[in-house]
Amino acid sequence: MSLQLLLCTPRLSFSVIILIFFSLVMSEEEVSLSVNVNGQSKVPPGFRFHPTEEELLHYYLRKKVAYEKIDLDVIRDVDLNKLEPWDIQEKCKIGSTPQNDWYFFSHKDKKYPTGTRTNRATAAGFWKATGRDKVIYSSFTRIGMRKTLVFYKGRAPHGQKSDWIMHEYRLDDNTIANQDASGPNLCDSTQEDGWVVCRVFKKKNYHKSLESPQRSLSGSLDSRTQLQSLNKDGVLDQLLVYMGGNRSCKQEIESITTNHNVLQQFVTPINERFYQLPRLDSPTMTMSPHYSLVSTNFNQELSFKPHVTDFLTEADQPTNMDHDSRERLDNWADLERLVATPLNVQINSSKQLYSCYGEPSENFCFSLDNDEQEPPHLGDSTTSDKSNHVVYTSEIDLWSFAQSSSSSSSPDPLCHLSV
Amino acid sequence: MADNNNVNLPPGFRFCPTDEELVVHFLQRKASLLPYHPDIIPDLDLYPFDPWDLDGKAMAEGKKWYYYSRRTQNRITTNGYWKSLGCDEQIISSSSSKRVGVKKYYVFHIGEAPDEGVKTNWIMQEFRLSDGSSSSSSSGRSKRKGQSKTDFSKWVICRVFEHSCDNDDDGDDDNDGIELSCLDEVFLSLDDFDDVSFPN
Repeated sequence: MSLQLLLCTPRLSFSVIILIFFSLVMSEEEVSLSVNVNGQSKVPPGFRFHPTEEELLHYYLRKKVAYEKIDLDVIRDVDLNKLEPWDIQEKCKIGSTPQNDWYFFSHKDKKYPTGTRTNRATAAGFWKATGRDKVIYSSFTRIGMRKTLVFYKGRAPHGQKSDWIMHEYRLDDNTIANQDASGPNLCDSTQEDGWVVCRVFKKKNYHKSLESPQRSLSGSLDSRTQLQSLNKDGVLDQLLVYMGGNRSCKQEIESITTNHNVLQQFVTPINERFYQLPRLDSPTMTMSPHYSLVSTNFNQELSFKPHVTDFLTEADQPTNMDHDSRERLDNWADLERLVATPLNVQINSSKQLYSCYGEPSENFCFSLDNDEQEPPHLGDSTTSDKSNHVVYTSEIDLWSFAQSSSSSSSPDPLCHLSV
Repeated sequence: MADNNNVNLPPGFRFCPTDEELVVHFLQRKASLLPYHPDIIPDLDLYPFDPWDLDGKAMAEGKKWYYYSRRTQNRITTNGYWKSLGCDEQIISSSSSKRVGVKKYYVFHIGEAPDEGVKTNWIMQEFRLSDGSSSSSSSGRSKRKGQSKTDFSKWVICRVFEHSCDNDDDGDDDNDGIELSCLDEVFLSLDDFDDVSFPN
């Protein structure tokens, strides 16, 4: 249709504008029928620029350094300091076909006139090198190096890591020197050794098609495998993503939810607290069985705890009692947080206490049953609650028994019972 | 014949068509007898080539082979047969989100069809046009819903490759260079610990 326009309209320039407009707006199949949007490079459909590292270094960068002409201007010169990674895909696209990686030449300029460090800051962030440089070989001879860099938004050292990765390829110094020696016209190349060829791409966190929605042709098989891989990769991956910073995590989530609504329920809770992650697998599960389990466990634990601590205080020095009481208080606080009806548990635990102390010796049973026989200093404990009273008396009896048996000085017996 | 002889491209360009490109550009245009460029995918019709014999006959790129063929009930070769995996995948146009084609998976078995064969690692993806998109639809667009069934093209495009364990993709793309190496990933995650505070 756009071709027809081109032929029929007398005013050629106008029709070219329309043509470009249509190619931009219309579907890809029609773009491939007409000329390329870019205008500069005509890449036939089905072809992608997927150079090997050797091709990048040996063919493209060498030619660049040697001022040789490269047919089809596929790799452009870019001022890295003026180009944000998200603008690279527009600037460096080849033809109209969808791309996952972009290529450009960049001239390294030094951060400081004297040093060797390179300035790779842009307006929005900076490129930071990661890992070690990798040696690139061509049939067992070393031809260059590859540096891996990550783009951080913001300013160092508070930058926020992004998913944008750059591989920066540089020719070996030796290679250039050899070229200098052999080639007659290459005497300038030592000044030009700042040229590098770069490949920029977005790191793929989950699944490749999440990163490139235009390439995922969303067949039924595709989504199934994605679901599987998401389950398989599991919580660990999600944690890693989370650790990578909130922003990237959110972006990831957004891309997932927009592309695959099915996955939404799996992924959105990452935004919330971690302890909710286990519920991801069974969203229908209610908390109630788990909850009751906790409370029963706690009852047992608690009924046992005072018993132990009391005997501890009895054996240890009295100064430890404060610590113990605080510890028990923590237990109680935990309990109140977890269980809806703390009073029930209190009663339960008091019953447990009752039985605990009741069993070992007849003496305690007796003292519990008859309040009048308690030692006189217990009158200070003004407790109105019956159940509390029972608990205290039992404990204090035990304590006072221990105190009386040992000859140490007696502090306030209620201090460890602060409720 | 094998490599991109009639496509004069500088180094680095490779034939890595998306499923959609295969269907929309190559299959649709061939089916509607439109000229298409580049004419690089040979037509092997129903020649009974074994997958390992495709080299030099089909269009080769990397470890994948492309050729036109025709729809057939049983794809039998000299030494075996292609057995359908039974899962069809819809090819959906990224721009119009219409179904444009169907991708069918086959596994090559050595031996007698249908059940005597021994399974191999050779995979074939057979692309055919969607039932709706007829071969006679003008210039491969519009009127796709007009003819509901029948008359779908007899042509298919086959993409054949050997499935390897370390690459359990469906073979859509080989990201040899553009993926991070394992070591890079480790360094990247180590970078995380420098400047990330853990969530409470």
